[in-house]
Order: sequence, then structure tokens, then C-alpha cells
Amino acid sequence: MSHASSHSPAQGDAGADPLIEALRQRIGDHALSMQPTLTGMPVVWIDRQTLEAVVRFLRDMPQPFEMLYDLSAIDERLRACREGLPEADFTVFYHLMSLSRNRDVMLKVALHENDLVLPSVTALYPNANWYEREVWDMFGIDFRGHPHLTRILMPPTWQGHPLRKEHGARATEFDPYTLTVEGQAHEQRALQFDPEAWGMQRERDGTEFMFLNLGPNHPSAHGAFRLVLQLDGEEIVDCVPDIGYHHRGAEKMGERQTWHSYIPYTDRVDYTGGVMNNFPYILAVEKLAGIEVTERAKVIRVMMAEMFRISSHLLFLGTYLQDLGALSPVFYTFTDRQKAYEVIEAITGFRMHPAWFRIGGTTMDLPRGWDALVQGFLDWMPRRLREYERTMMENAIVRDRTRHVAAFTTREALAWGVTGPNLRATGCDFDLRKQRPYGGYEQFDFEVPLGGHGDAFDRGQLRIEEMRQSLRIIQQCVDHIPAGDYKADHPLTTPPPRERMLEHIETLITHFLQVSWGPVLEPGESLAMIEATKGLNSYYLTSDGNTTSYRTRIRTPSFPHLQQIPAVMRGGFVPDLIAHLGSIDFVMADVDR
Amino acid sequence: MSYTLTRAEESVAADARYPLGESERVEDDPMRQQVHRNVFTGKLDEVLNSAVNWGRKNSLWPYNFGLSCCYVEMTTAFTAPHDIARFGAEVIRASPRQADFMVIAGTCFIKMAPVIQQLYDQMLEPKWVISMGSCANSGGMYDIYSVVQGVDKFLPVDVYVPGCPPRPEAFLEGLQLLQDAIQEERRPLSWVVGDQGVYRAEMPSQRETLRDRRIQATELRSPDSL
Repeated sequence: MSHASSHSPAQGDAGADPLIEALRQRIGDHALSMQPTLTGMPVVWIDRQTLEAVVRFLRDMPQPFEMLYDLSAIDERLRACREGLPEADFTVFYHLMSLSRNRDVMLKVALHENDLVLPSVTALYPNANWYEREVWDMFGIDFRGHPHLTRILMPPTWQGHPLRKEHGARATEFDPYTLTVEGQAHEQRALQFDPEAWGMQRERDGTEFMFLNLGPNHPSAHGAFRLVLQLDGEEIVDCVPDIGYHHRGAEKMGERQTWHSYIPYTDRVDYTGGVMNNFPYILAVEKLAGIEVTERAKVIRVMMAEMFRISSHLLFLGTYLQDLGALSPVFYTFTDRQKAYEVIEAITGFRMHPAWFRIGGTTMDLPRGWDALVQGFLDWMPRRLREYERTMMENAIVRDRTRHVAAFTTREALAWGVTGPNLRATGCDFDLRKQRPYGGYEQFDFEVPLGGHGDAFDRGQLRIEEMRQSLRIIQQCVDHIPAGDYKADHPLTTPPPRERMLEHIETLITHFLQVSWGPVLEPGESLAMIEATKGLNSYYLTSDGNTTSYRTRIRTPSFPHLQQIPAVMRGGFVPDLIAHLGSIDFVMADVDR
Repeated sequence: MSYTLTRAEESVAADARYPLGESERVEDDPMRQQVHRNVFTGKLDEVLNSAVNWGRKNSLWPYNFGLSCCYVEMTTAFTAPHDIARFGAEVIRASPRQADFMVIAGTCFIKMAPVIQQLYDQMLEPKWVISMGSCANSGGMYDIYSVVQGVDKFLPVDVYVPGCPPRPEAFLEGLQLLQDAIQEERRPLSWVVGDQGVYRAEMPSQRETLRDRRIQATELRSPDSL
């Protein structure tokens, strides 16, 4: 198979970077080394001893790195292509983001198998809490100073750390699942909430608290999500979100599916987002493969992604209002979703999970007559959106239930890693489609709606406004769709063009290998981030020069959004919590992956 | 028609596996035996049974329970464009104690399985289970450490709806198939009348019923035009 990868590492000349220079001066030249990658940010290897100092330095510097965007690990033990990198059995990486600089930096710390300990950074970034628990759960890496390092995604009774290379991937590698009467009782006991383990008091001033278990199956929990409330009457003294009831092992799955056949799994991560999920994955793979897609493919992708943004926001709007007690809006918004699905299905052939993007373009070209169909949807929606505003958002009850409820500031949002519409509702103007245009968004004319109070009302109203902007983007796609191919002309495009297959035996073999084994990508690391329906979503891919990914890290927006709940809800009331849950817009697959 | 007979368990051993209860296959319609005994009571039983079953199947109250993607399509079936009220199953219950059937709409996770079992146990008889989507049917595309390979590993399933996710129409079809199965069921009419076991009819597989019609399709529509 031929490779046409002539791309150079994006951060090859890091010496000129003032940020890195400042870092060198802070901790010394020898204490850090740079790794060239395709992630689009400097990747800095540092020592475990300097980790806290470096993170503190970056967080407190002028124009600081306000957000811990992601934190996870890589099991390096089976990685073949890692020349020039510090010796490591496990690597823990910290992805920090600065909105004021509009740039990122990634810190990596090498660890050895018999000494898997790191200092916790929860004191510096509160949202490190869940990420560190996840790393412990998945890799068995210990974080000193973590307030409560327990399993987060796997059941409390689980043995082993699933993202380690020696851990089995398939359910069929283990004994078939059985549940006995005794086992059931054991599991139920393990699920019981123990307030003392979380440092919670059972009473205050002689009044006993009530511990209310909400979920894992509750109508307003939006899926398999559990929240344990510590209540003093109606007041929420504290609460503990419990996740992991929807962990489908999407990251482990990436290590066994080929680059191409992993696409359908991405659809199911944020399952209301459809092809929106394909977007960051495909962009990251294309970076690794060095593929530049055609203008037509870019516009088609943007159009379909925005269709799904509307469909997802409509689902949000219906359920958000339903959580507030308004039962009819969901019937109206689902009628609109049905209209959206008619368009989506006509173009992609599927409703929820089309897996329609391909490495190098899309599955197929737009069908004849697509424009009239899309136009029909574009003409239908604005009146409906206005109606929702008039009947619901201008409704006194909805306003009373949501205004100044579960409000948080931009500062708090960034400290907890909140992104997307929930961040913009606080008035922070950060939309990745504007700040770091990807996939052709720079060609479109649209505005970024902002809120002012960061409360449950703003989060609802803002999404209606976002749907209007998405309609505007789709209208531009319909009006100015470029002619040309829907797929790039590149040897790694998958599946390869069928016309080429039948030329001679060589092309037939190439086609066969690329379809059966899948394309082989050059070793390297790439990362692509997008403004997904619920916030910033990114895929961080590590290729070891194989047909599958060596490590697939999926950073999803809903994970930090749920982690923030206790910080927002302490001192609030139970009905406000339900309003807040409705306004976050999360799906559990986007949290647990 | 053949039936599966299930009797309520009297005492349960700690190492007994879910689903509990002894099941055996019965070739004869339990009604037939009644007929041979006494033509009049046999007939009466049949009329009563089919009247009760008609009532049951047309007012199925679903339990509001969702796991993942399939639940979105299930909810879609409840809203205006698909309108599940046409089949008498629109009364969603938030409590398992008030629900007649449970739809396992989504992936069944090892962490979630004990919770699902608990909720199923809280439902009152008569109760049914629809397994919606590939994950609930067999694990589907998620052959992965955290997923139970099919909810029938511990729950008795009445109808399997294929798809990933199935369309709302497919879910509605599954509901109607459940209704057909309920019509054929034989449950004790009272605690003093007749056999106390539950006879579930073995319904024909749709794959086989529809095979001839499926083979007849020789030309598929081109995706190039609408």
C-alpha cells in the first residue's frame, strides 16, 4: 500500500514559542522535552516532580490557561514507534486551554509500571477530580492528595483496569454474564450510598439529613444517571453524581476497530448528535493521513452537522420544558425533529446514526432534489422557533422557574471545564467555529448568540437562538454549494474509489486490502476538536503505524458538565435541580462513552 | 400451537440464576384439556380468557425506562407523528409498580443489570418485556467488557425488535406483536379456577413469516435520487 504523507510535524520549531521559553526559564531547560505531533499544540514532557509547579505556573500566568480541558493516560507498553520520547510504561497527559490566548498546551508525564503515582491537581483545577478518578479506574494510576479516589465508570465490584493493554476487550473473552439471586443482593449492597465515605455528615444541629437517591432510572435524569442528594427539607445541602451506568467502552473499542470501521461507534457517543460525532474523529484521522478534502465535501459536512445540531437542540428544548412541567412542547419539537429526520434520512439513508462521513469526504454525493427538501425544512422552522419563544420562553411560569436558577459565572464555568452553549450562556464569547474555524466554517456568515446571566433560562433561550444561526448556515450551504467531488483524491481515502479498482490486479489488491484490513496510517498523534451540539468534543488519536488506533481518547463535553452539578446546586432546592438537569443538555453516552 | 408454561417459584435458592421460575414446553393448548373435560366450562373459559386478554393487550401501560439511543426512538413513538395512543399504550408510568411492560431500550450494562433486575422485580404480574434494539437483543456492535450480551441473559424477553436503533415504526410493530402474543396467552382467571401456571404461546418468528415477501424484492431504490 502506498503512502503519500509528506506532512511535517506542526510544532517542529517550538524553540521560538514564547510560552515554551517562559516554561524553560521557570523549570530549567533540561526538565522538559518537546514532542512533535499533529495535535496543533505544543506537547511538553515534564517530570513528575515539576508537574504541580508547571500546572500552577500556567494557571496563574498573565493570560492564563483557565481550563483543564482534558486529562487522561496512555498505556505505552506495547507501543512500537516512540523514537525520541522519554521512556515510559504509562503516560498521563494534561490538556490545558487558554481562552484569552486562544491556544492549548499539552503536558505529559512518564510513569513506570512499578511506580504509578502522581500528585493530584484537584487543588488547582477542581474538574481534575473526575478525570483523575477515571484514570485510576481505567489504568490503575494513583493520584496522591485526591479527595476520594474511587471507581467512576466501572461497577464498584469490578476487578482490573480496562484500558490497560493486558485487559480483555470483548465481552465474549470473559465468561457469559449470569446474575444469581445472591449476586443480585451483593450488587445491590455495593450500590448503596455511604455518606461517610464521601465525608458527609448525617445530621446538623440535631436535625437528621435525608439522603435521596435519584436514579439511575429517573424520568428527569435523562438516562442512566444517578444523583444522591443530601437534603435538609427541600434544600440540597450537597449532592454526589454517580456515573458509569452507560460506559460502552468506546475508547477501548477504538483499539480494535480499523480506522474506517470505528466511524459508526463515534455516532453513538453523543447519540443525539449523529454525524456531528463523526466530524472530530474524521478530522483527526485526516490530519494523520494528510488528506485535504474537497470544498464540496466540506460544505456537505457542515450542512449535515448543523442539521444534527438543530435536531439535538430540538430534543433538548422539548425535554427541558417537559422537566419544567410543560408537557406539550415535546410533542411539537418532536414533530420538527421528524421533519429534520426526513431530510437527514433522504440524504444519508438513516435517522439517528448515519455514520455518513468517510475518511476523505462523505459516503456519497447529495441525492438529486436534495435542495428543495432542505429548503422545505428551512422554511418550516423559523415560524416554529418563534412560537416556542412566544408560548414558552415568554411564559411567566417558565421564566419564574428558570431565571436566576442554577446560575454560574464564566470564571466558575471555566474552572469546571464547562464549554459550548452552557459556557456562552454566561456571556463568554467562545465558539470554536469562530475562534478556531475547522472543516470549512470560516466561509460561513453567522453570529454567536450569548447569554448574560448563566442561568437555566439563558441556557434554554440561547439554544433557540443557536438553531436560528444553524438554519442560516444551512441556507448558505443550499445557496452556494460548490460543484466537484464529494471525496478527496488521495490513496488513503476509505473506501477507495470503485472505478479505480478494476484497472488491473494491483489496484484490485490495494482496494481489497484497504476494505478488508483498512488503511494503515503513519505513526503519530493528532487531535481534532469541534464545537459539538453540547460543547467541545475532541478525539485525540495515537497511531502506531497500524490499521487500528493505538489509543483513542474521546473528550466529551457532558462529562465536566455533570461534574459541576454539586458546585451549582449546593444550597438550591430540589425543583431547581430538576430545572438545572433539564438545562444542561446531556446524554449519558456522552458522559460515560 | 405450542406454549411455554411458567409457574411461580415457591422458594428460591441463593445460587439460582435469573430469570427465575421453571419453564417447560407444552404442546397442547391448555384450553383443549378443559374442553375434553366439559364442553360448557371449556367454552366459558375460552370466552373469558379472550375477553380478559383483549382488555390487557389494548391497555398496556409502559414503564418509563430508557437506557440509551433506542430510548430516543422509543420516545419518538410516543409523540405526535407516531402517536402510540392508537394502540392504547400511551400511559407512561414513572413507577414500575404501575406499569405492565418494560422496554429495554438501549444497551444493557454490567453496572446497570442489577438495577434493571430490581426494577423488573418491582413490576407486578402480568408483566412483559420488549427488548428494543441490537444491544438489548444480543449486545449488538458492543462486544465489549462493560456490556451484557443481550438482556435475555437475566430477563425473560417476549418480543425482540431489531435495529440500531429501530425506527419508531419498528417499535410500534413490536408492540403489536406483543399484543398478538398476549391475546394467545393463558393465565389463571382466578386463584381457584384451573391451572395456576402461565402459558405463553410460542409465536411464529417474523423472519420466517415475512421471508417470502422479502425475497420478492429484487430491485432496490437507488440512493442517487429522492
